[in-house]
Amino acid sequence: MNKILLVARDEWRYWRRSNLALWSALLFAVLLVVTATLTALRMEQERNERIHHQAEAEETFLSQPARHPHRMVHYGHYVFRAPSPLSLIDPGLDPVTGQSIFLEGHRQNSAMFADSSVSADLGGLSWLTPAMVYQLFGPLLLILLGHGAIVREREASTLAALQAQGLSGFDLVAGKALALNAAILVLLLPLGASALAAISMGESMIAALALIAIYFLYLNVWSLLSLLLSVLLQRRSTVLTGLTALWLFGTLLLPALAVSNTTREFPLAGKIEVDLAMLEEVRKLGDGHNTEDPAFQKLRADLFNRYKVDKVEDLPVNLRGVVATQGEATLTETMNEFADRRMAGELKQASLLNRHGWLTPTLAVARASRAVSGTALETHQRFLREAEAVRFDFVQGLNKVHAEELSYVDDINRNSSDPEVEKRSRVDAANWQVLGNFRFEPASGGIRIGNAGSSVLALTCWCLLLAAGSILFGSRLKP
Amino acid sequence: MSRPSALMREASLLRRDRGFLTWVCVVLALAAIAVISGLNEVAHQRATLAKLLDADREDREVALAKQSDWGSAAYYSFHLTYDPPSEFAFAALGRRDQDPWKHRVRMLALEGQIYERDVGNPVLALIGRFDYAFFAAFVLPIVLIVLLHDLHASERSAGRHGLLVTTAGKTSRPWRMRALLRSAAVFFAAVLPLLVVSLNTGVSLLTTTIAVSALLSYVGLWTVLCTWIASKERSAEVLLAFSLGIWMLVAVILPAGAKVTIDRLAPVPSGADITLTQREAVNDAWDLPKATTMDAFIKRHPEWTEYTEMSRPFEWKWYYAFQQVGDQSTEALSGAYRQGRIERDRLAAIAAWLSPPALLERVFQRLANTDIKASLVYEAEVRSFHAQLRAFFYQKMFRERPYDKAALESLPEFAPSGTTL
Repeated sequence: MNKILLVARDEWRYWRRSNLALWSALLFAVLLVVTATLTALRMEQERNERIHHQAEAEETFLSQPARHPHRMVHYGHYVFRAPSPLSLIDPGLDPVTGQSIFLEGHRQNSAMFADSSVSADLGGLSWLTPAMVYQLFGPLLLILLGHGAIVREREASTLAALQAQGLSGFDLVAGKALALNAAILVLLLPLGASALAAISMGESMIAALALIAIYFLYLNVWSLLSLLLSVLLQRRSTVLTGLTALWLFGTLLLPALAVSNTTREFPLAGKIEVDLAMLEEVRKLGDGHNTEDPAFQKLRADLFNRYKVDKVEDLPVNLRGVVATQGEATLTETMNEFADRRMAGELKQASLLNRHGWLTPTLAVARASRAVSGTALETHQRFLREAEAVRFDFVQGLNKVHAEELSYVDDINRNSSDPEVEKRSRVDAANWQVLGNFRFEPASGGIRIGNAGSSVLALTCWCLLLAAGSILFGSRLKP
Repeated sequence: MSRPSALMREASLLRRDRGFLTWVCVVLALAAIAVISGLNEVAHQRATLAKLLDADREDREVALAKQSDWGSAAYYSFHLTYDPPSEFAFAALGRRDQDPWKHRVRMLALEGQIYERDVGNPVLALIGRFDYAFFAAFVLPIVLIVLLHDLHASERSAGRHGLLVTTAGKTSRPWRMRALLRSAAVFFAAVLPLLVVSLNTGVSLLTTTIAVSALLSYVGLWTVLCTWIASKERSAEVLLAFSLGIWMLVAVILPAGAKVTIDRLAPVPSGADITLTQREAVNDAWDLPKATTMDAFIKRHPEWTEYTEMSRPFEWKWYYAFQQVGDQSTEALSGAYRQGRIERDRLAAIAAWLSPPALLERVFQRLANTDIKASLVYEAEVRSFHAQLRAFFYQKMFRERPYDKAALESLPEFAPSGTTL
């Protein structure tokens, strides 16, 4: 054990004397701190803005005057997706997905306004976030620190001397790995600071810790990879170019290729295409605005039977409201069916993409990082589902008011030119309280960590495999 | 030593350099994959559009068949608007993963419809596809860096550096030629798939020429930079780290910094404000005196001044008038939203000169008509189509023409301008 520590300490001394190592580490740290600060400021502002807009939207809805209830169904409501606290480390899908949805009767609208659509476009890598700095540049720094670990001793012919003094190959490799691990822990300090900031904003401790652990694993993959190549290859320059090539493939090429491969393997129909297919189904359901629609004849007959009346005017409930309720319910069922199918398709694509995480740790870490940060596809889809629940609840709440608080006769005279008659078709504004409060909160830490499961498994396997390789070839090390 | 023979000698040296040949093959393969996957995606987008156009027409016909007045005909008929991919789009898919290029709009207030986003899976959009522009702008420089950084250093560590310098006469000559040969091979491997497809798929010769020249200058720029760095008397690892540092700076850090700065310099109003304002205006109109709405309406459309009288409590012309007034009420905001994006793009075009990779990608996206400008042009086309739709129905509603199904045959149809270079 002492020997291993000695090797590790020696490696640190070497880095301290190397201008290259010092400068690279310094630049990395500066870049990280600047990026972390800017991203934190941006996400904090986004969060406040959206929470503010949400409160504003609720207030305006509740402050509407007395109206015909169906007008409020079309007046509609807005919900906003507030970003999770950990999004200050990994904003993930937040900038590329719409952040608000307009909710109204009979329609499921798409999420509107994505940051990426209004931002200046300066190439595919210009959304710099702390997560991206770790995913893209962390490996480069570890390559610079780690590539020479063994091969340097070999080139300087110190390897033979070390071994002659009784240092086994295993001790040497373990010592270097320890030194790299210590470096990784230092590199993770800014991440820890950002995680603390997130915890202070209400993030769950376990999710924040999991995020740090995920990046620890990821950086270890790259340090072990550097070490392994340093053990295997004879010349320092070959190790370095080899690692650079692996970095190019792992971080830049394979993720983009995986995207192209996923869409080729499993193309997905867009919303308009799905909507058009849905409309064909919906036409069979009947229009909830029209009590004469044949689709509602049975409903009408049932009501007449139940209340033993034979005229719409004699019903104790407003037929128009009942039809609207029924129409919305069946329509929503169909809409949800199609929306679910589309979301399942997106998840299928995402899981196909995640499978490529076994080819490159960068995809695996990106996926795990988004999942744990609460900025993954699952989060956006949960937002869409929660928004739909809000929509259905307030629309049906209003339809209930329509059926129970407004008489049929008053209702059909709503367009009367007599202001007194028109006034009777309005219901009191107190009824708008059917709208509940909406705050989009991240899923619990446990669920998010669970979502990251397969990617974390991939990263762990990468680590174990590379560690095994380093130990295996390291203990057979010959000068 | 004469030049041609020196050239032949270097070339034959390169032919035996297995590492180098592997890289050239990798570049060729990657360029081919980029082009093929781009072609696939464009074909998929075209097929989608063809399908949508049919489904859209069918849906509209069914919807219109049930209507018996102009107002309901306008209310229930949606119209597909779209921006088809250009011939060169395969090389730079650009904004098409993130910005919507298809909508279905109807004659209601447009501000409530135009921000809808029918875009693909955000997980895929976030990473971005592997297209040729990305390959050329971001991947190619790293290949050049790997191939060129140790031109001197490798000879130095092999102990041949001094010998080569003294026998070559001029110190820079052998390195320059080596660098040139290596870069030229990389360039040809990269450009070949692009050329083959461009020349065979109806991409205009002008577009192809500009794209190839841009690529050539770009490879030239990195070659000069790499050979300059390689000539420094440092170890190969320092030179490689330094070159990669430059790449990081121009490909990621400067663009990211410029993006943050530009987004602060040119503010864009919050989208939520636009839609909230529009909704208030549209809904308030129900409770406002009808004359208020009509007055605001005829300010924009004086030609209907004589026709705003209403004889019934609800008339479609009033309904659509307040939809239009709703749009008018957000004009300042939505104009600022649009202007903000134009201004950001203008600044980004300037800032891109700091970042050759961003610049090359922008050039390719402009040629392919897949940049922000193209998104904005498409948005303007949707607006102008919506205006045609209004003009069509206003004629019928305000003049109170009897409903005539046959007249709907001449409903305006969306036609993409397809403006490319």
